[in-house]
Amino acid sequence: MLRYAAGRLVQAAIAVLGVLTIVFIVMRFSGDPTLLLVPEGSTQEAVDALRKQLGFDRPVVIQYLDYLQSLGRFDFGISVVQRIPAIDIVASRVPYTVMLALGALAVALFVGLPAGIAMAVWRGGWLERCLSALALTGQSLPTFLSGMLLIIVFGVVLGWLPTSGAGDIRALILPSIALGALSMSTFARMARIAIIDELGKDYVRAARARGLSKAGAVERHVLRNAAIPVVTVAALEIGNLLAGAVIVETVFAWPGIGQLAIQSIQSRDFLVVQVIVLLISIVYVLTSLLADLVYALLDPRIRLAS
Amino acid sequence: MKRLSLAAAILACLIAPAAAQATKDVLTIDAPNDAATLDPHLQWDADSYGVYRNIFDNLVTRDASGKIVPQIATAWRTLDDTHVEFDLRTDVKFHDGTALTADDVVFSVKRITNPDLKSSQLSQFNQIVDAKAEGPGKVVLTTQSPYPVLLAQLVKLSIVPKAYVERVGDQEFNLKPVGSGPYKLREWQKGVQATVDAVDTYWRGKPPFKTVVFRAVPDVSTRIADLKTGRADLVRLLPPDEAIALKKEPALNVLTVPTERVGYMFINAQAGPTTDLKVRQAIAYAVDKQGIIDALLQGLGKPVNSIGADPIFGYQADIAGYGYDPAKAKALVKEAKAEGAELTFLTSPAYDRRIVEAIQQMVNDVGLKVNVVMLDHATFLRRRQGTPAEAGQLAIGVWSCACQDADGIIFPLFRTGSTWSKYSNPAFDTAADAARSTLDEAKRMAAYKSAYEVLRQDVPGLGLYQAFASYGARKELQWQPTSNESLFVMDMNWKR
Repeated sequence: MLRYAAGRLVQAAIAVLGVLTIVFIVMRFSGDPTLLLVPEGSTQEAVDALRKQLGFDRPVVIQYLDYLQSLGRFDFGISVVQRIPAIDIVASRVPYTVMLALGALAVALFVGLPAGIAMAVWRGGWLERCLSALALTGQSLPTFLSGMLLIIVFGVVLGWLPTSGAGDIRALILPSIALGALSMSTFARMARIAIIDELGKDYVRAARARGLSKAGAVERHVLRNAAIPVVTVAALEIGNLLAGAVIVETVFAWPGIGQLAIQSIQSRDFLVVQVIVLLISIVYVLTSLLADLVYALLDPRIRLAS
Repeated sequence: MKRLSLAAAILACLIAPAAAQATKDVLTIDAPNDAATLDPHLQWDADSYGVYRNIFDNLVTRDASGKIVPQIATAWRTLDDTHVEFDLRTDVKFHDGTALTADDVVFSVKRITNPDLKSSQLSQFNQIVDAKAEGPGKVVLTTQSPYPVLLAQLVKLSIVPKAYVERVGDQEFNLKPVGSGPYKLREWQKGVQATVDAVDTYWRGKPPFKTVVFRAVPDVSTRIADLKTGRADLVRLLPPDEAIALKKEPALNVLTVPTERVGYMFINAQAGPTTDLKVRQAIAYAVDKQGIIDALLQGLGKPVNSIGADPIFGYQADIAGYGYDPAKAKALVKEAKAEGAELTFLTSPAYDRRIVEAIQQMVNDVGLKVNVVMLDHATFLRRRQGTPAEAGQLAIGVWSCACQDADGIIFPLFRTGSTWSKYSNPAFDTAADAARSTLDEAKRMAAYKSAYEVLRQDVPGLGLYQAFASYGARKELQWQPTSNESLFVMDMNWKR
């Protein structure tokens, strides 16, 4: 198990390095930020001088080696646009992203899982039809539209919740719903399929034969067995929620990593982009690793096999 | 009955935020982005400038009519072609209590012109080669050569406290700036908002609001939702469609101002089919400027005859422009034997796609074939400023030198050897050079007249419209925005 985990970690480190290299090269070859920073009418000399001061006149290979070297010292560089350490800029946004991801995950889990279970248990009934319509809506409504609708209904017309910003906890509600809707549908569908799958198995029939009610069987046996595919999806969803909140963060002016990533890419703020990419790849790697460990906890067969 | 009480409750919710405020202490401004830096000598984008403009005083400023008027400098005189002497106020204090002196002004000039600071504003000030304090209230600036745009550039020079900057260093100064302006920074939550508090002892008088919050709200629909709910009192950067729609809201005002920004089209005179003058003239006749303004800018723009506009020194209002004449355009294309010639139209997400497509259609209609190439903005700039062959035949842009002087517009756009120029004519170069090397305004005006005349003949570019800036505001906000688009809270007021 330990050896397996170590192997996975080495693989993950190589993947992270690969991602960083690709991002480094793509960003360097698509133009540096100098032209975006100088006033429009600047002379070529002025542009060249600033480019030299910022270090973008050096060959890309040298810039890359230099970058790796600083990375080894945990020095992530200073943003050329904001002139403060890139790591500080990203770190200041992390709490917002985590808050939003947790909010969205809460929406997804507390609405999605019960809905999925209900859909499986009362299969074919009116409740399933209503809930599957809800899941379909959550899945097919793009966030830029659902976000706007939520703002108009709950912010402007009803005036119940703030329309934007990150000042208070109430401001977290609408973006969490907008971001969580897609994951909620995914959880609902996954839970439904997994439970239906389990309900058809012999052990359930045996349990029912022992006189256990359907609800009792689901509660005592099925949920645990159906949890494995759901955990896999949850791990992937956490990665998505952390990285994929770009549109929701923009619509709700929520100052998370996604919004920062878009702004930094547009302004060619290389070092900030690189820190974000590093962070997101590490999160992905860790969540999938975590999922593996949770499998082992849930399923003794996996535990014993390794 | 139940329904009625629910309606009443909703109504109460809607009214509550407005009724709760007896006086206006906090003004909230929504901008598309957070300030990039609050060190006024680093970035100069509109969102950064909008905040630090209120924290710092500038050497000189512009009044509502656009005239350059005193701020920290009370008077100035030209000693000779390259020396200008400024008298300074001696009663101004920085927020840390220290007095603003000639040394701070000298330090500010030397700091922003020092290449080690890596300021992106350097090219706006690098004509200043020396600054010297001559006594406590006098400073003399030396320019490399006669530099007529000096004062226009100094409008943007914030005065920073020498002692404080030297003590805390550049990085700390950026995060905790100290100025002498009407507001001092209370808190800067990066990426979220900057909060500033009024300095009641400000030398120009008590600021109108106790606190101002500048929030970063990237999405325009969200900025409007904020405005409608009273979460924001003023929002920046309204697109024309939204500005027109907001005019119907009884609680809101749309404030519009013609700016110094000019929408223009670049026409490459050094590569492709547009090297032929007739083709360039045909394109100029093919574009229906008024149509673009009416249909796409909702009337929030004014047609121009050249690449210039009223607030810009050197603009020639009486030069005949190119009217919309598709028949003439077709004839010129035929004469040039250029029917079906392919033109590359470079653009980026920074420009209005609808305008690009409208122009594409108009130019196609007179017998040419336009291919639009969409690039990201950094790549667009690299190609547009690269060799003539890379730059495509057409591109649009909205130009502002933030100096309100033709020198900052047609010189970089068309002077031989400038990065933007894909055109060369000695007659134009002579006129443009003459206008920048004398301080005599009459001579400069005459030089620009001939320069603009040459540009009209050669059409290396086409002026389309003077851009308007639109702001959405609560009805109670009294403010006249200025053509240089500076968000100066001192000029605002709140009336119930």
